[in-house]
Amino acid sequence: MSIAPLLRKIFLVDLMKGLSITFSHQGPKDCQTEQYPQERPTIADRYRGQPLMKLGENGESLCIGCNLCALACPENLITMKSDRDPVTKKKVMTTYVYDVSRCMFCGLCEEACPTQSLKLGTGYEMALYTRDGMVLDREVLEHRKDPEPYDK
Amino acid sequence: MISHFLKFLSFNGTPGEYGSTLWATIYILVIFGVASVAVMLMTYLERKILAHMQIRLGPMRVGPHGLLQPIADALKLLIKEDIVPDGADKFLFWMAPVAVMMTAFTGYLVIPFGKQHAVTNMNIGVLFMLGISSLGVLAVVMAGWSSNSKYALMGGLRSAAQMVSYEVAMGLAVVSALMMTSLATGTGTMSMIGIVESQQQQGSWFIFKFFPVGLIAFVVFAIAMVAETNRAPFDLPEAESELTAGFHTEYSGFRWSLFFLGEYVAMIGVSSIAVTLWLGGWLRPFPNALSGATWDTAFSTAPGILFFVLAAMCFIGFARMPKKPSFKVQSIGLGVFGVVLGMIGAVLLVPMVRVRVADIFWFSAKVGVFMYLYIWYRGTFPRYRFDQLMKVGWKVLLPISLAVLVLVAVIGVRHELLAGLMGVAR
Repeated sequence: MSIAPLLRKIFLVDLMKGLSITFSHQGPKDCQTEQYPQERPTIADRYRGQPLMKLGENGESLCIGCNLCALACPENLITMKSDRDPVTKKKVMTTYVYDVSRCMFCGLCEEACPTQSLKLGTGYEMALYTRDGMVLDREVLEHRKDPEPYDK
Repeated sequence: MISHFLKFLSFNGTPGEYGSTLWATIYILVIFGVASVAVMLMTYLERKILAHMQIRLGPMRVGPHGLLQPIADALKLLIKEDIVPDGADKFLFWMAPVAVMMTAFTGYLVIPFGKQHAVTNMNIGVLFMLGISSLGVLAVVMAGWSSNSKYALMGGLRSAAQMVSYEVAMGLAVVSALMMTSLATGTGTMSMIGIVESQQQQGSWFIFKFFPVGLIAFVVFAIAMVAETNRAPFDLPEAESELTAGFHTEYSGFRWSLFFLGEYVAMIGVSSIAVTLWLGGWLRPFPNALSGATWDTAFSTAPGILFFVLAAMCFIGFARMPKKPSFKVQSIGLGVFGVVLGMIGAVLLVPMVRVRVADIFWFSAKVGVFMYLYIWYRGTFPRYRFDQLMKVGWKVLLPISLAVLVLVAVIGVRHELLAGLMGVAR
């Protein structure tokens, strides 16, 4: 054994190095932990969270009843029905059911939507006590607001 | 009654020397209580410091900054179901945690927290302490054997091998310190109080005696000490990733907490030996070089000042708490805690208390450094493999401690001969 590694071993240099590293990281400022309910994470704009349907400027539905979102969904969790309006001769969506309990938030429905009506929003607190509550209909999707943040 | 009380207070010695069973009992109860509280504090500090070293926060929710966490833990352990495995040897299974606790606490009989603050001044103090702490091995093996579980048995066996092999190096390091006590007076002593007094007499902590030699002996002891108490990086008997929990795998609830308590009490006990042997026990820094009434007063304000600093830290934390209704109770709790600490600090500054408490404070401060080291090691070093453990114990520490022993003997004799030739007054 050459002399330098031997000396390093005798004077426990490597152990001291390790000790100095752990010692220098003790400051509370280094902490990465987020105190969740009190501190909240910043959510990116394109975060794919809670689904919602955007409305037009006058509060009219942007949905044209094309059914593309339901076709795009890999989980087949969107069911929609549409009728032709007798006056304007346009297709109008009548029922829309979105089952979040099966959703994997892939965002394919959002991409498929030609009018950008359907959107996966930034809400992320979607825990519920029942499965029924996860089946969202048109009313909920259109008038959904971000949930009241837990702040006690 | 009061005259009895005052008579003891004016007596400059331990209850053992005073010959009073009553006072000895009171001391024992106080030490028991304080050690248990110290263990609770230690668990909190360990979780917190370890968390910070790993860039986490540690307990934050139970009380301000998790200050009430140890109490919550203790409550949880007490009300937990206490399971005895079907195939276990019931009697030994019962006895093992009790034995761990008793061996850990019995050693405290001879620990000198100050010149008057020990239960008794036993003339074979160190020997007694080492003997009692080695009995802990028996309890660990008992726990491993009686559980009737493979993991527990493996843990017990590992523990037996480890503690026995490190005891050799530890004992030799202790002997070299004991030889140093004979330098000034010609006769050595094994009494814990006598060892500290001889350090004061020789004007140097034994860690600095014959410079590198005392330090090496201390380092050997410090390493063997960690191995003795089954702490990281020598925590093979309770290696989580290999043996679930080692010898206490089958223990739960209250009995598990006895093991836990025993382990931490043993840690404090062994650190106390190290402090007594090498770091001057209850002596304040520079008791000879900076002697005199002024320095005495200056140093004796240290405990009060420390508590004031702690109180100030609490108040800073109070001021920096988020101003939200959810933090109101926690903020108030932290403020109250700070006020209590400040009041303790004020009490410690009263001259009558100050003089009485100074030695306890210095002793605890030195032990506290060791406790921090234990946590620091745990946060830094990975666990040794078993063959590495044995290699370090037998092929490194044992030869070193033997060499140190011989060196201390040779240098000591030379020193004494020179002193005799030069006619230096002892």
